[in-house]
Order: sequence, then structure tokens, then C-alpha cells
Amino acid sequence: MAIKPFSPRRNPAYRRYALRMLGSAGAYIAAIFGASRVLHKHAPASPEAVLIALVPGLAVLAMIWAIGRLLSELDDEYLRMLEVRKAIFATGMTLAVASVWGLLEIFTDVPSLPVFWIFPIWSMGLGAGAVWNRLTLGDAGCA
Amino acid sequence: MKNRLKVLRAERDWSQQDLAERLGVSRQSVNAIETGKYDPSLPLAFRIADLFALPIEAIFSRD
Repeated sequence: MAIKPFSPRRNPAYRRYALRMLGSAGAYIAAIFGASRVLHKHAPASPEAVLIALVPGLAVLAMIWAIGRLLSELDDEYLRMLEVRKAIFATGMTLAVASVWGLLEIFTDVPSLPVFWIFPIWSMGLGAGAVWNRLTLGDAGCA
Repeated sequence: MKNRLKVLRAERDWSQQDLAERLGVSRQSVNAIETGKYDPSLPLAFRIADLFALPIEAIFSRD
């Protein structure tokens, strides 16, 4: 039986995580759009420009914090293991992509991968880790 | 590890959800332990043993 995202049986740590993620992802998208309207790409690094460019960064910090809180608030050891496995999978995937692409950048003329993409790649790794969990253990964890 | 959780649960006519609620864990945890996909921590194994009023080795055994 599938458990709905906000069903009462779902662990409260998941609910808090979903709300925190929803809030910070919304703030992130708004801040990215806001910054791209105010600043042109590669604007001179004046204090004002740096400040505006850092606002989406704060939202990313909030997302990382939400992931950390989920791991410490989950009181169910099996569900926590599923989340830790996802994070390990995501970390491995990010290291692999960044390292291999970095070598390609050194030795060939492939376009350079902005470090901006590290967190989105890691987040995609969480999704891939959920698939790995599902295939190996039958439970994906909180998607 | 092997375990007799499913048998002990069936003897009491409990569903996985019933057992999960009694142990304070998720139904997925109970299912993963029963099917041998996850070995519980020592504290959780003691909670399971306490619930069934059995020693741990009467519930869990080596493969």
C-alpha cells in the first residue's frame, strides 16, 4: 500500500522535511529569478552585486540544513538508513561526475561545468539513490 | 540473520502495522526485518524481545 505524502502514518520528520524543502526551494527559484532580473551575467563583483547573488545561496544552505535535520530527526532506524544510503549514493555520483568531467576539461576542450551544478547534480543523485534503494531493498525512502 | 518475527506476529494475529505501532517504528521497518533485508540495531532487537517476552536468541538466529 502506497503511503500518501501527508498521510498521518507518515513519519513527522518527513512532513517537516517536505515543508522545509518546499519553502527553501520556492525561495531559491524566486531568488534566482530575482537576481537574474537585477544582475546581468558576470556583473562586476560590487558589494551590492555580491549581496544579490548570495541570496539564492542562502536558500541552498536552507535546503542542505533541511536534509541534515531530516537525518537527525528521523527516529526510525530503517527509514534513516534509507536516507543515508541515498545521500551516500548522491555523494558518489557527484564525485564521479565532477572528477571525470574535470579530467575531460583538463585534457580536452569540452565546455567547463560551472560548480553551480554540484548541488543540483547531488539532488538528482538523491533521486537515483531512491531508485537504488527500491531495487535493492524494496523501499525508496522519502522521495 | 534469520528471525521468527513473522511467526510470532501471526501467533498473535497482529498485522505488520499492529507490530510496528507496538514497537514505535514504521511498517516498512517491520517488513524489512521480517524479510531479512534489514537487521535491527541491538536496542530495537531488545524492544522486540521485550514485546514478545522472549530472549533475543529465541527470535533471532545466525543464518
